[in-house]
Amino acid sequence: MISDTILNVVDLHKKYGDSIALDGVSFRVRKGETKVIIGPNGSGKTTLLKCLNLLVKPDKGRIWLGNIEITDPRININKIRRKIGFVFQDFNLFHHLTVLNNVMIGLVKVRKLKKHQAYKKAVDALSTVGLDNTLYHKYPAQLSGGQKQRVAIARALAMDPVIMLYDEPTSSLDPQFVNEVLQVIRKLAKNGVTSIIVTHQIDFALEIADEIIVMHKGRIIESGRPTELLSNPQNILTKKILIRNFRTLR
Amino acid sequence: MDFWSNFLINLVQGLTTTLQILVISIPLSIITGFILGFARVYGNKIIFYISTGISTTFRGLPLIVTLLILFFGLADLKIYLSPFWASILGFTLCGGSYISEYVKGAIQSIEQGQAEAARALGMNKLQEIIYIILPQTLIRALPGVSNEIIYMIQYSSLSFVIGVKEIFSVAKTFNSLYFRSIEIFTTVAFVYLLLIAIATLVFKIIENKLKIT
Repeated sequence: MISDTILNVVDLHKKYGDSIALDGVSFRVRKGETKVIIGPNGSGKTTLLKCLNLLVKPDKGRIWLGNIEITDPRININKIRRKIGFVFQDFNLFHHLTVLNNVMIGLVKVRKLKKHQAYKKAVDALSTVGLDNTLYHKYPAQLSGGQKQRVAIARALAMDPVIMLYDEPTSSLDPQFVNEVLQVIRKLAKNGVTSIIVTHQIDFALEIADEIIVMHKGRIIESGRPTELLSNPQNILTKKILIRNFRTLR
Repeated sequence: MDFWSNFLINLVQGLTTTLQILVISIPLSIITGFILGFARVYGNKIIFYISTGISTTFRGLPLIVTLLILFFGLADLKIYLSPFWASILGFTLCGGSYISEYVKGAIQSIEQGQAEAARALGMNKLQEIIYIILPQTLIRALPGVSNEIIYMIQYSSLSFVIGVKEIFSVAKTFNSLYFRSIEIFTTVAFVYLLLIAIATLVFKIIENKLKIT
């Protein structure tokens, strides 16, 4: 294995009943790399992402996080999950907790930090995502979509993850809030936070990705640097996705 | 001693018994309801069948029948419960079974994403239930639970059938002695109304305290 590989995915398969969600997916992520997964709806992007912290259990295949094989049944997956930041499409903030407590709960209950340590880390994470401190004691229902997603990013970030996984982080947002969330993800990626981002924002993918993975019907049909894919797409579907979106952009 | 003095002294004694029954059986039925509710959602097959069986049985039986079985029926099996404790057991089982329905519904109304987010943070199942699901269940089940507590205050009058000297039994006894039905039962009705008004107020305060927006 290459020494700076953080995540290594080998031949992942997943079926829901008769429908194939993942059909032999393999890739690696290096430290500090930003990988973006694109593809049409139902191509297996979210399933793939959820397999990476075993929220969805793959039927076959192996995943290593660093030197630890997380698909090994003897592994305590809860210990692994705290090292993998996961940002959901629908935010999934805990409704009954304030912004601050949403970020602190994992630190206190899972990482067993003292309250004052957790508070400091939570405030750091919340200021990294640019959340105004007047919102710290609000409940999720009192926030805008963009603010909710930034809190969700802070909640994942505060755990000091080795990798951040974003599952369509802007899909549930009203258009006016998309940019503030993309801004945060962009900033984190530029600061060297290893990230895998599933998105339909092709313009954003092209701008931020070190490598883009194109998925279709549970397979990786193409992958490469954004400039390579844009200038010389090998697959007709890649061409369609990129050109359609890039034109819209212009 | 005139009628009113005699009646009111006895009524206060009856009220004390009613309150004792309620103070013990309300918390017990809430605990039972939460245990049964969580068992029905999170339990394995055996736990699910046992908890569903308990809840279905005691929701299916009229409370008066439950009380008669617990007091007279168990006595036939040489299990002797005092009227007071038979009432508490009956109210706990009946109230707990109904509350378990509210709890089950509340748990099932919590979006799957809440549990998923808890797991993604590295919480184990127990932490997920205690820190994420239980607090939200409490908030969501509260209106139903408070409704059930109000019913329990009313149902407490049924314990007269097994000889508990609570307020309704005092009223019945005085009615057969003095035949002053309108005064006796209106007074008793007023006491129940007062108890229910207090319970409603208490639950309203709790609901406002737990309100999250």
